[in-house]
Amino acid sequence: MLIHVLNGLVYGGLLYLVAVGLVLIFGLRQVVNFAHGSLFMLGAYVAYATIAIAGFWIGLLAAAIVLALLGLLLDRTVFRQLQDQDPIVTVLVTFGLLLVLEDFVRTVWGRDNLTVAVPQLLQGTVDIAGASFPIYRLFVIAAAAVIGAGLTIWLKTSRVGLYVRAFAADPVTTGMQGVDTERVSASVVAVGAGLAGLSGAIASPLLALSPAMGGSILIESFIVVVVGGFGSFSGAFVAALVIGQLQNFGIVFVPSIASMVPFLLMMAILIYRPEGLAGKAS
Amino acid sequence: MNATSSQPFALQGLDLSRVYGGFRALDGVAISVPKGEVRGIIGPNGAGKSTLMDVLSGRAASWGGTVRLGGRDIGALSPRERRQAGLARSFQKTNVFAELTIDEQIRLAARSVEIDNSAEVLDKLELTALRSRLAADISYGDRRRLDLALALVGRPQVLLLDEPAAGLTVEESLAMARLLRDLALEWQVTVLLVEHDMEVVFGISNRITVLHLGKVLAEGTPDEIRSNPVVVSAYLGSSVE
Amino acid sequence: MTSLPEKLIGAAAPRPLDAQRSKLPLLLALVVAVGGCVFPFVVTSTLTLSLLTQALIGAMLATGVGFLVRQNGMVSFGHALFYGLGGYILGVLVSRGIVPIELALILAIVVPTVLAFVLGLVITRIPGVAFGMLTLACAQAFYELALKVRGLANGDDGLAVTFPARIFGVPVSLLQDPHSMFVICWVVLMIALGSLWLLMRSHYGLLTFAIKANEERARFIGYETLVPRAAIYAISALLAATAGVLATFYNAFISPDMLHWTLSGSALIMAIIGGTKAVWGPALGAVVFFFIKEIAGDATEHWPAVIGGILIVVTVFVPIGLSGLLVRVFSGRRA
Repeated sequence: MLIHVLNGLVYGGLLYLVAVGLVLIFGLRQVVNFAHGSLFMLGAYVAYATIAIAGFWIGLLAAAIVLALLGLLLDRTVFRQLQDQDPIVTVLVTFGLLLVLEDFVRTVWGRDNLTVAVPQLLQGTVDIAGASFPIYRLFVIAAAAVIGAGLTIWLKTSRVGLYVRAFAADPVTTGMQGVDTERVSASVVAVGAGLAGLSGAIASPLLALSPAMGGSILIESFIVVVVGGFGSFSGAFVAALVIGQLQNFGIVFVPSIASMVPFLLMMAILIYRPEGLAGKAS
Repeated sequence: MNATSSQPFALQGLDLSRVYGGFRALDGVAISVPKGEVRGIIGPNGAGKSTLMDVLSGRAASWGGTVRLGGRDIGALSPRERRQAGLARSFQKTNVFAELTIDEQIRLAARSVEIDNSAEVLDKLELTALRSRLAADISYGDRRRLDLALALVGRPQVLLLDEPAAGLTVEESLAMARLLRDLALEWQVTVLLVEHDMEVVFGISNRITVLHLGKVLAEGTPDEIRSNPVVVSAYLGSSVE
Repeated sequence: MTSLPEKLIGAAAPRPLDAQRSKLPLLLALVVAVGGCVFPFVVTSTLTLSLLTQALIGAMLATGVGFLVRQNGMVSFGHALFYGLGGYILGVLVSRGIVPIELALILAIVVPTVLAFVLGLVITRIPGVAFGMLTLACAQAFYELALKVRGLANGDDGLAVTFPARIFGVPVSLLQDPHSMFVICWVVLMIALGSLWLLMRSHYGLLTFAIKANEERARFIGYETLVPRAAIYAISALLAATAGVLATFYNAFISPDMLHWTLSGSALIMAIIGGTKAVWGPALGAVVFFFIKEIAGDATEHWPAVIGGILIVVTVFVPIGLSGLLVRVFSGRRA
C-alpha cells in the first residue's frame, strides 16, 4: 500500500515540476506553451547525451541549463513578439514548435527508444513496509520536494516572484501599476523551461526515451493546470499529487482504464467547479 | 413594497446590495421609477452607478435585494429573459458587434423581441444610411447611437443607459440628450440614465438620484438636487451653479 | 450632428455592388463542384486518386475544425475524438454484426454529434486557450481507452473491418475503390460546404457569429448563448464523424491512431493554412497539406518540421490563410 502511495508521489512530483512551468508562463502572459512537453523531452535527451560523457549529475545540470537558455530564447523570439496578439496565436506557434522540436530530436537521436542507467550511487532497493522499493524513486521524490520547495521560496521572497504572483492574481491592475512584464518574463520563462528540462532529466532513468514522450506529458500537465485552476501554484501542486495517486492506484486496481482516470477527474472538476480547485469565481 | 403607492412602478429596486472583495459597491440602495420618467443617476466615481445598472440588468453575478419590472419580480431572470420582459440596456464602453453590419445586428436584435420597430429605430437614430456598413468601420459617435439602437429595438418598457454620452463632443452630447428626451416622450419608455455630463443629466431628467459610496445620498427634481446642500458639498461642488 | 444626413447620402451605395459580386463566386463554386466529379475520368492514376481521396477525407475533418473557429472563435485540438469515434462505432458495430450496417452508419454519425452537443454545453463555456487544452485532453482520454481496452478493437493493433457486400443496396466495394470513392467523398464534401454556407447566411449563422463577436451583447439583446455555441460544436463534430466514417469505409481498418492528438493537430494546421474566414478555406488547406506532405515526404524525412514551420509562418504572417489571400486577389482589394 505504502509502495503504491510512493509510486504515486514519484509521478505526481515530476508532473508538478513540469506543470509549474506552464503555470508560471500562463500567470505572466495568459498564454499556454504547447511546446512545454517538448522541453521535458528535450531535457531527457540532453541528459542522455551528457551523461554518456560527463556522468549523471553533470547530465542533470546540463539539462537544466540548456533548457533554461532555450527558455530565454523562446521568450525573446516567441512570447515577447506575440504578446499583443490573441493568445491563441502563441498557442499555434508553440504547437508548430512542438512539431519542429520533435522532428529535431528524432533526427539527432533516432526514433528508437533510448534508456538512461540509474547512477551507481542510487542503484538498488530499500525495504519499505515489507516490500522493496528502488532507491532512485526515493531520490526522485526527494528531488521533486526540494525543487518544489525552492521554487515556492523563490516565488515568496524574490521580486520576480512577487510580480509573478501579482500578475497571476490580477494581470490588468499589475500591468497598470507599472510593473514591467518584460523584465520578469525572461527569468520566469527560463525557470519554467529549466524546470521542465530538469524534470525530464530526472525522469530519464525511469522512462524509455522517445521523441513522442513530450506529447503525453504535455497533456497530463494540461490536466494538472486545468484541475488546479489556471495560474494557481498551490492548485497545481494539489492537482499533481492527486493525479499522481489516482494514476498509480488506477494502474494497480483498474489497469484497463487507469489512463482515463485523470481525464474523468478533469471533466468532473469542470462540471462542478469550472474555475478549478484553487480558482476563484470571476 | 410601499403599500401606499397607487401606480405600479415601471422599475423598482429594493435594498440592493453587492459586495466584492469586502468592498460594498452597493449598500441597501432603493430606487423606484414611475412609468415614462427619465431618472438620472449621478455620483462620483465608485459611487455604485455602474454596479446598480449591472444588478438591474442581470449582468451582476452575485447581489442581494429585489428587482421588479412593472410589479413583476425579475430578480431570478437572466439578461435574455429580462430583455424579453421589456428591460434593455446600453453600455458604458461601446458594446456592439464590430464584425457585423448595422443592418445585421439590428435584425438580430429584432428577432428576439415581439415588436419589430427596427426601421423606425434606425431612422430615429440616423443610422439608416449606414445600414450596410460594418460596425467596426463607422465613427465613434455612430457606434454610440448603434449601441443605443440595439437597446431600443422592440420598444422596451425600461431602458438602462450607462453613460450614453461618454466620449462624445459637446455638440453630440446635446444631440444625444435631445434624442433621449424625444424618445422617452414619444414611446413612453422609462429611462434610467447614468451620466457624467451634468448638462445632459440635468437637461433631460425628471428626477435625479444621487449615489455616494454605494448608498442613496439624495433624490429629487433637478432643481432640488442642484440646491441640496449635502449633494453640493459631497459631489457637485461648484461645478453646477 | 445636424450635418449627419447630408454627410451620409453618398455612403448608401454598397448593397447593389454586393449583389453583383456574389454572382461570380457562386458560378465558380458550381464549376468546381461539377469539375471534381469528372476529375477521376481525367486523372486515372490510382495512386494519385487514392492520395486525393485521403486528402478529401482530411478536408472534411479540417472543414469541421475550421467552421468551429469561424462561427465560435474556438480552436479545437481534439477533433480526432469525433473522427475516431465515428470510425470506431461503424467499425466495431459492423465487425461484431451487432446491428445492420445501415444503422451502424447512422449511429456512427449521430452518436458523436450528440456527444459533442452535450460535451459542448460544458466545455464551450470555457474561454480560449483553456478550451483548446480541454478538447485535447478529452480526445486523448478516448485514445487511451481505444489503446488499452483490447476487447474493443484489438487495442494498439487496430481492427480490420469486414463489411457486408452492400449498404443501402449500394456495393460497399464502391467505397473502397479510389475512382468511385473520390467522387463520393467529393460529393459529400460539396454538400457539406454548401450546407455550411447556407447555415452561415441563415439567422442562426448570424446569431452564432454575433455571439462569437460579442457574447455579452448577444445576451443583452435577448439571446441565450450557450446552446448556440454547443450546437456549432456539434455541427463541427458531425463533419469530423462523417470524415471518420468515410475513412473507415475506405481503409476498412480502424486503429487508435484515428483518435490520436497528432491527427487533431494536423486537421487544425490544415484549417489554419487554408484560412477559416471562407467556409471552403480549411478544405483547400487540407489539399495543400497533403500536397506538401507528399512532396516534402519524398524530399526529406523532416516533413513534420516542415509542416510545423509552415504553421508558424502562416499563423504569424498570413493569419487570413490561403483562402483569405485568394479572396483578396480575386476581389482586387489591396492587402
